[in-house]
Amino acid sequence: MILLVSSIIFYAYADYRFLILLVLSIIINYYLGLKIRKAEKEVLQRRFLYLGLIFNIGLLIYFKYFNFFYESFVKVLNVFSADLSYNSLQILLPLGISFFTFQTLGYLIDVYNEEIEPSKNLLEFSLFVSYFPKILSGPIERASKMMPQIKEKRNFSYDVFVDGLRQILWGLFAKVVIAENCADFVDLIFDNYTDYSGSVLLIGATFYAIQLYADFSGYSNMAIGVSKLFGIQLMRNFATPFFSKNISDFWRKWHISLTTWMLDYVFTPLSFTLRKYQKTGLIISIVFTFVLVGFWHGANWTFVFYGLLHGIYFIPLVYYGKLNSSKTTAENNLIPSFKNSIKMVSLFMIIVLTDVFFRVDTVFLGFQYLQGIFSKSLFYSPEIIMGNTTYITFALVLFFLFIEWINKEKSHDFDIRNYKLVVRWTCYTFVFVLTLIFGKTSETFIYFQF
Amino acid sequence: METITIKDTIRQVLESILNHNNFEMHDELTAKDVDGWDSLSHMMIITKIEEAFNIKFKLRDLNKLKNMGSLVSVIQSKL
Repeated sequence: MILLVSSIIFYAYADYRFLILLVLSIIINYYLGLKIRKAEKEVLQRRFLYLGLIFNIGLLIYFKYFNFFYESFVKVLNVFSADLSYNSLQILLPLGISFFTFQTLGYLIDVYNEEIEPSKNLLEFSLFVSYFPKILSGPIERASKMMPQIKEKRNFSYDVFVDGLRQILWGLFAKVVIAENCADFVDLIFDNYTDYSGSVLLIGATFYAIQLYADFSGYSNMAIGVSKLFGIQLMRNFATPFFSKNISDFWRKWHISLTTWMLDYVFTPLSFTLRKYQKTGLIISIVFTFVLVGFWHGANWTFVFYGLLHGIYFIPLVYYGKLNSSKTTAENNLIPSFKNSIKMVSLFMIIVLTDVFFRVDTVFLGFQYLQGIFSKSLFYSPEIIMGNTTYITFALVLFFLFIEWINKEKSHDFDIRNYKLVVRWTCYTFVFVLTLIFGKTSETFIYFQF
Repeated sequence: METITIKDTIRQVLESILNHNNFEMHDELTAKDVDGWDSLSHMMIITKIEEAFNIKFKLRDLNKLKNMGSLVSVIQSKL
């Protein structure tokens, strides 16, 4: 109950205008869940499910995608010389809408599929939707994992509490030190990309990939850590994705709560429907799912293109039947084998180049940027920008990746509970001091806009 | 159909799609335990099983599959 009240206050503090929307969404989804289960005929159950889908997707489309569709529609008409002008509506994006709507969607589908029982307690259900550590930016939780934890009486566990603190410290470090320091370079380089040589542009893109990861995984670690303080275990959202060997490995480890959601509610039904087309059906399903993953991030063609590219990267894997290689890179070894290093680094470069489309405003600009990278000047030695800070940021990033590397098989990126007391406290102090010295405050997180 | 015959057919399907037989057919076997049986090969396996038994799954059936035991009982209910 206290958690629920604080969640509501938290959301209201962030943006009170959308509180009504959140409450409305909670109540409607709660009743639809009950209705689906009570209905005896399958036809009726399905009708309530569809009602829920329309309501939730409708909310998303209205608040997030209305202007996008509207503008694209008018542009298409203009091609046929209709000569219309358009005024975009001033629709504000409610915080966290993509995250909580996906949660309620998953909830209704699970109830319909008889995977879970609908919640019979409005307060518990409200907490499931609005739980404050995760409402703004995920992880996108599942009712089957979270509802039982809300129901049960939670006992204080010292170990879990301390582990939560550890995770918060690491998340904070990732966000205020790594992401923010990278951001300074990234902004400078992306905003003036015509002024720099290809080698600098490549460094800029690399820093951006790291910034994006540190920003979002940092947020996720903090959210999961804070939640641990209250005894609720949220799902893992990142599992050191940069240490993957192929693209399917990468997506198993990147934004896990979104990709597993897409896997269960989009990819599986779709590939099931298309199963008689064998590999072609599989490829269509994968590409469609990834376009949707991209589009989920926002109403811009850059995100659609980003998703499309990732979908396309899967095609060779489907044909060579090498989708599954979930074994960790360099399992139990500090140094990866030569072959694995090559795979890891090439995958990382593909991610870096694709992430460019995530950063720029239009697909065209993305291509311009890539063209800038792949020019003769790629082989020039990079101009020094921002002096010594370059080296410091570089060292910080290496330290960050090193800690993640040694913890890649642990339950989270900073799970150092099994180290000796001295080592642990040296690590805490070191990371804490680094955060104090190099930390920068920032107003927001990249993923708050989604 | 006997459980043993069903299991044997499933084993053949798995072997033909995954190209190996490093797994034991017991009721608690899950896709996770079998090398190569992931979300993407899953649908090909399902299609092959449908062909082998001449049955059609529903999406709801699929969601209920937790391990080999549940797969066998779902197939049995369709025969």
